[in-house]
Amino acid sequence: MIQSLLINFIQIFIGFAGGIAVGAGFVAFLTVLGIIPRLIQLSKTEKLLKAYGVCVIFGLLLGTFLSFTNVTWNQHAIILVFWGILHGIFNGMLAAALTEVLNVFPILYKRIGVEKYMLWMLMAILFGKVAGSLFQWVFFVK
Amino acid sequence: MGDIVYLRMKKNLELSALQEIQLKDIAFISTSSSKKRELENIPIYRITKKDKNIVIIESFLIIDHINTVFENLEFQLIGPAQTIIRIKKKRKKTSVLLIACIWLLLFVGTAMTIMNFHYDVSMQEVQQKLHYLLTGEQNEFPLWIQIPYSIGLGLGTLLFFNHWFNKRFNEEPSPLEVEIYNYQQDLDNYLTHYENKLNDTKPAD
Repeated sequence: MIQSLLINFIQIFIGFAGGIAVGAGFVAFLTVLGIIPRLIQLSKTEKLLKAYGVCVIFGLLLGTFLSFTNVTWNQHAIILVFWGILHGIFNGMLAAALTEVLNVFPILYKRIGVEKYMLWMLMAILFGKVAGSLFQWVFFVK
Repeated sequence: MGDIVYLRMKKNLELSALQEIQLKDIAFISTSSSKKRELENIPIYRITKKDKNIVIIESFLIIDHINTVFENLEFQLIGPAQTIIRIKKKRKKTSVLLIACIWLLLFVGTAMTIMNFHYDVSMQEVQQKLHYLLTGEQNEFPLWIQIPYSIGLGLGTLLFFNHWFNKRFNEEPSPLEVEIYNYQQDLDNYLTHYENKLNDTKPAD
């Protein structure tokens, strides 16, 4: 009895500690990428910064809930489309922020001298992402 | 002391030929003195082949020089302390082939990176589970979620960089432009430090 209580307690402790580490790391990751500041800048809603923080926390909790349970909500496929597009936009911003952090582009443009065609290069990245993703889901995995 | 002359150095100057540089080429001048014209045309530096393609003109040397020429003027410096002169030989037009190659490189590279990323985070499995969770049906290929996701990827990138080809959505600079500006700024800082004879650490002879 005492032993199983102790083991449970250890499990709680390990789970909680892991959660704190992952949560802090996740938020740090989001912060470093600067997606939230970017969205605020685009929408001019500096006032809502706190609300966005709450959004992130609830999103995190919902994601954790979804990955540990096996419930089903029996919704129509339309909701999948909506969900997919939000997922895609967020990931697109994430990936865009990552390439930027790598600082590859300024150097590429300066060295090869394609400064004038910068936006075309940006479009290459954009279409590359869409094409790669579509190719993977429609042909590659089958 | 005589009239005050305000000098504001230009930060960057691009020249296409070897030429003599006058004060008005590298600085803006404001003064109530009648010698303004004379000041503007005073030669500062002659660019020679030896200078290769970057010359830094330090404001201290300019003031040092014009002080000896105009004895009863007082000089005040505002703005940057040095001018970076870049000598550009006639640049060949970047070939379309090269641009096409880079375009293709970025295109295929990004496509592969995103596929690897999806495998790395097991996105297929997550989406299969999500499909079951939301609709209650098992589906090995949840295209209803994956195709909108792919389109969303493009939209997100667009939103982040704030550009659609040459059209921009608002006046704010995109993060990419800021990044390129910062990089240029760093290069300029490096040059003004290391190409500047005044920053030599050796003791004077």
